[in-house]
This record gives sequence, C-alpha cells and structure tokens, in this order.
Amino acid sequence: MRAVRDVSFSIEAGSTFGLLGPNGAGKTTTMRMIVGIYMPDGGTIAWKGAPIDGRIRRRFGYLPEERGLYGRMKVREQIAFFGRLHGLVEPDVSARTQRWIDNLELNEYVDRPCAELSKGNQQKVQIACAAVHNPELLVLDEPFTGLDPVNADMLLATLRDLKRTGTTLVLSSHQMWQLEQLCDHFCIITNGENRVSGTLAQLRAAWTTRVIRIEPGGEAVRRVLQSVAGAHPLPSDDGALLYEVPASTELQRILRDLVAVEPVTRFEAIEPSLHDIYVRTIEGAA
Amino acid sequence: MNDFITVYSAEIMRRLRSRIFIVGILIGAIGIAALIKLPAFMDSVATQANRIEVAGDPALVSQAGPLLRKDYHIVRALPGKTTVLPSDLSDAKNISAIIVLRRSGHSMNVVVYARDPGNISVSSLRRDLLPISLQIATGLSHADLGRALKLPVAMRAINSKFGTAAQANDARIIAYIMLFSLYILIMINSQLIMSSVAEEKTSRIAEMLVASVNPSALLSGKIAASATLAIVQMIIWIAVGFLFGAHPGAPPALEAADSSRATTFSLSSVSSADLAGFAAFFLLGYLQVSTMFAAVGSLVNRTEDLGALAGPLVIPVVAAFLIAMTALAAPNTPVVIITSFVPLIAPFVMFARIVVSDVPAWQVMLSLAINIAATWGIAVLAGKIYRVGMLLYGRPPKLAQIWSVIRS
Repeated sequence: MRAVRDVSFSIEAGSTFGLLGPNGAGKTTTMRMIVGIYMPDGGTIAWKGAPIDGRIRRRFGYLPEERGLYGRMKVREQIAFFGRLHGLVEPDVSARTQRWIDNLELNEYVDRPCAELSKGNQQKVQIACAAVHNPELLVLDEPFTGLDPVNADMLLATLRDLKRTGTTLVLSSHQMWQLEQLCDHFCIITNGENRVSGTLAQLRAAWTTRVIRIEPGGEAVRRVLQSVAGAHPLPSDDGALLYEVPASTELQRILRDLVAVEPVTRFEAIEPSLHDIYVRTIEGAA
Repeated sequence: MNDFITVYSAEIMRRLRSRIFIVGILIGAIGIAALIKLPAFMDSVATQANRIEVAGDPALVSQAGPLLRKDYHIVRALPGKTTVLPSDLSDAKNISAIIVLRRSGHSMNVVVYARDPGNISVSSLRRDLLPISLQIATGLSHADLGRALKLPVAMRAINSKFGTAAQANDARIIAYIMLFSLYILIMINSQLIMSSVAEEKTSRIAEMLVASVNPSALLSGKIAASATLAIVQMIIWIAVGFLFGAHPGAPPALEAADSSRATTFSLSSVSSADLAGFAAFFLLGYLQVSTMFAAVGSLVNRTEDLGALAGPLVIPVVAAFLIAMTALAAPNTPVVIITSFVPLIAPFVMFARIVVSDVPAWQVMLSLAINIAATWGIAVLAGKIYRVGMLLYGRPPKLAQIWSVIRS
C-alpha cells in the first residue's frame, strides 16, 4: 500500500491545473490532502504561502470523485446548504444559489428531491454545491465523468467562467481533450511521484520526436523519409504517410527534399497531444 | 467555532424543515395525552359495564344505594321487586345486572342476575354491602357502625421528601412521565443521528462535508442541533403532559390519591431543583448516547447494517430505564445507588432518585462530575472513530482496527 509518496508542484493563482495519472497513481489522495480531508504525515501544503487551516479551507471548493447528495433534500436547499457550510449568509446565499441554478440550467428541478434527478443532473447539482461560494481554489476530481457531451460542454464553459473570475482550478480527468482545452499547467504522476509537469508547450518541447503527415505518399516520398536518420513509419488508415522523426530533425530540409522528388500537396508537422504525452509518460514510467 | 455554528444552524434548519420532525412531535404529543387520558377512558368503559338495577327489600334497597354507588352506576332502584325474569334483563339493554337484596333472619341474602357474570365483582359487592350485613347481624345503629368502620389511620412521614402519600404519588407520576420522555427522546433522536450519519456516509456526501468543515465540528454541530431539537420536543411533550394531567391547587385528598383510578397530579410535588436535575441529566444522557450512536453510524457501509451495530448500544439505555423504574419505588437500594453514578445509566437513575427521595448533595455532584467526564471521554473516542469511519469504505472495520484508531 502506497498512498502517494513524493509529489511536489506549485500552482499559479488564477490558473487551471490538470493533475493526471493512471488509476491508483495518488491523484485523489493528493486532492484530499489539498482540501484537508487527509493530513500528510510528511511535507507541507500551503496556500499563498500560508499553511492550510480551517479558515483558508472554507474558501476552497471540492468535488469528489465519488458523487453524493442528500437524496431527500431539494435541489435549491442542497446548494444553499453547502453555501451556508462555507459561511455564506442571506441574502447572499439565495442569490448565489439562484445564479448557479441558472448557470447549470437546473431551474426545472429546483423543487425536486435530488434522488429524483438523473445522474448527470445530480452531478450538476454537486458541482453547484462545490462552487456556490465562489471559492478561491476549486478542486475537481473527475468532473466530466457521467456527463453527456452537451452537459460536458456546459461544465467546460462554467469552469472557464470561474477561471475568468479568478478561481484557481485543479482538475483530474481521463478526458484528455477537455483538460487540454481548459488547463494551463499539467502534472502527470504515477506511483505517487511526479513524472512530468509544466505547460502544454513545455511538455511538447520536452517531447523527443515529432510526427509528420505527407500527402500523397508515393514511393519516391517514402525513399526520402527512410533516408532521414531515426525516422520510422506509423500506421495510417487514410492513405497519407505518417512518420515519426527525431525532434531535432530539420523539417524544412525534409520538405525541400520531398518537393524535389515528387509534388506534395500536404506536409504537416503534428504536435503531440496531451493524450500522446500522457501515454508515453505512463509507458516510460512502467 | 464558526464551523460548529454553521453546522449547528444548518442542521437545525434541515431538521426543522423535515416532515418527520413535525410529525414526530405531533405523534408524541398525542401519545402522551392518550397515555394520561387512557385510565379515565378505561374507567368510563368500566362504568358502562357497571350499570345496574337494585331490587328487593325496600329498606335494604334504600340503604344499599349510597354504598353501591362507590363502584356501580345505579340506573334504577326497584324496591319491592323480588322476582327477576330473563326478560327483565333482555328488555333493559343499558344495564349489565340486577341485584336483588333480601333479608333472611339475622343476615342479608344477595342475588346477582348478570348478563355477563365476569363484569360484576363479587368481592367489591361484598365490600360495599358489608356495613348493611354487619348492621343486621349485630343490631348496631347506623351511626355506631359508621364510627366503628372509620378506623382512624395517621400517616407520619419520617426522613421522607414528601409530607403526604398524595404528594409522593404525584411525584412518581411526574417522574414516570419525565423518565418516559427521556427514554423516548434519547432513543429516537440518537437513532436519528445515527441514521443521518450513516446516510451521509452511504450517499457518499461525507467527503464533501468533511472537505467543507472540520469533522469534529460536523459531529458536535449535528449532535448539539439534535439535542436542541430534542429539548424543544421534550418541552412540548411535558407541556402537553401537564396540560392534560395536572390539576391546579393543593394535592388531592388521600383517598383519591390512593385510588388506582387517579389520573391527575399536582405540579407542587416537583421542585425547581428536580427540574434542573432533569435538564442536567437529560443533557448528559443525551450527549453520551447520541455520540456513541453517531460514531457507530460512521462505521456502516450499508444502512441495513445499522440495526445489528446499534443493538449493543440500546442495551444500557433499556437497562437504565428499567433500573430507574425500580428506583421510583425503592430509591435507596444498593443497586439503585451504585448505578446512579454509572455513565449511560446514571442520567436515568439519579434523576429518578432525585425526584422521589432526598439524595445527599455530594452524591448528586459526584454523579454529575463522573458523567461530565464520561461525556467528554465518549466525545473524544467517538470523534476519532467518526473521523476515520466516515471515509472508510469497503469491509466494515474490525474491532482491532477501531481500537488502533482510538489509541492513535
């Protein structure tokens, strides 16, 4: 049993931070330590330079991976209840509750017990509960799980709004494209340890290869690419040629050589996606 | 402190808005009113069964009337009628028996014609008609016989809290109502807290709650809110009890107090010190039991497991209630005195002793001190169990694991 061991990162205020890793890597435990559910037996966690105490924690919001609501409590009451738990008082609590009901399009359910809502709508209520007090730091563990594409887009827009108003976001998710759209910084952990961290540009810069796509892919083109040191073909299902070449390769030179042997209608250097970086990092760690 | 107040007020609002709370108060109030009025109702039913006609020797019928009215409702007197036919009873549907009195030499002959012989008590008939029988047998005058039968008995209270039997009886009735309220409130509200904690755990909302507020504040706020509402319930129920059961002014006469059919009591039998003792021991008992129940609630993974885990916790509360009932009748027996200091049991037993006897002040103080310390100890242990239990999913923890959490 190893519930995290040596994870270290800093998050810029107002930024959006993606915490990635395979199941059992220690993401949830790390998040629970940030919001004070678990106390680390070593190391420190600080917010704006100060150790996190109850007063600071009240300015945080947390959406756990395991979803849960008071089943018999009505939607509006539930959101307001969590607002009060975070120190909101009337009339502020009612106003903010209504704002979140509007934002997440929950108006038709406000007077229904939460247990009667669909899983997706329950999740929206829980997100509202976590964020109703406009937290300085909002920690979301797998927030997109269980949402249909429309609701996932709605959540994405909501999180962008929160980011615009200065809320610092920490997210974990296995939906890479959503994280890629939302996050400024990433940290990939496995077995309770940092593997890579930084902005997407920094992660890409550290990538040792590049993928290029060429159309059409005639025999002459293949010969040119095979002559590039360290290049090797990747499978392609649309007739185009895909080659992975070392990151140090001068792409302009390859393009010149290709054009010289055959007409090329498309030459594209494909940046590694977050998904590629994640998979390669996890494979490397294994 | 802010966390505590937030949880406390939020929990109060949550419970006040729940229908179960309102319905619980109403059902309890109706139950208490029914309990108090039940004997009177039973009496009225019994009166229906005791409707009789008295027939026979006119002089005997005249003498027997006032004596029989203590136990029977005489619908009609039939002096001179000595023969009773079955039709006499079947025609008169509102009577249960016809009693025929005849003189026979130096004695009286009584025949009861009853629709249901089980409804007419021969012993009470004998007791009621005894003065007439003695008068016929001895030839004493009515006045002499009356004086002879009214044997003077003087009651002298020694080392007693009460001056009269009526006061003692009233105090016991009130103590019974309060103990019953104490028992019901502690049992119901403790189980409500346990269910509430278990619901928060099984519905997985616990993680959000614990991330929002300190677990100790969460637990103490819930228990304090529940205690406050239990006190409100108790005040309403006791007010209903007094409204339906108390009679104003002086205590009733000795005869009435001795009667098994007494259904009212005087508030003068309970002092303000008794009420203060009740409040203090109610609070201690409530905190001890509800804190334990809350800790147990945090250990379950399925609400179906609550019953099995709560069972052992119910035993001391039931035992305390039963010992307290004994204490109302015998407040100075060794078992009662010893248990009036034992945590979980003392809140019931010491209160019962206070109401029906003069408990030395040092004993009350010692019991309070022991129970305050025990309440604190239980709260510390329960807090540790709760903090870990709320986030512990999967297999229920083993006793060894719980023990290691407590020791940590």
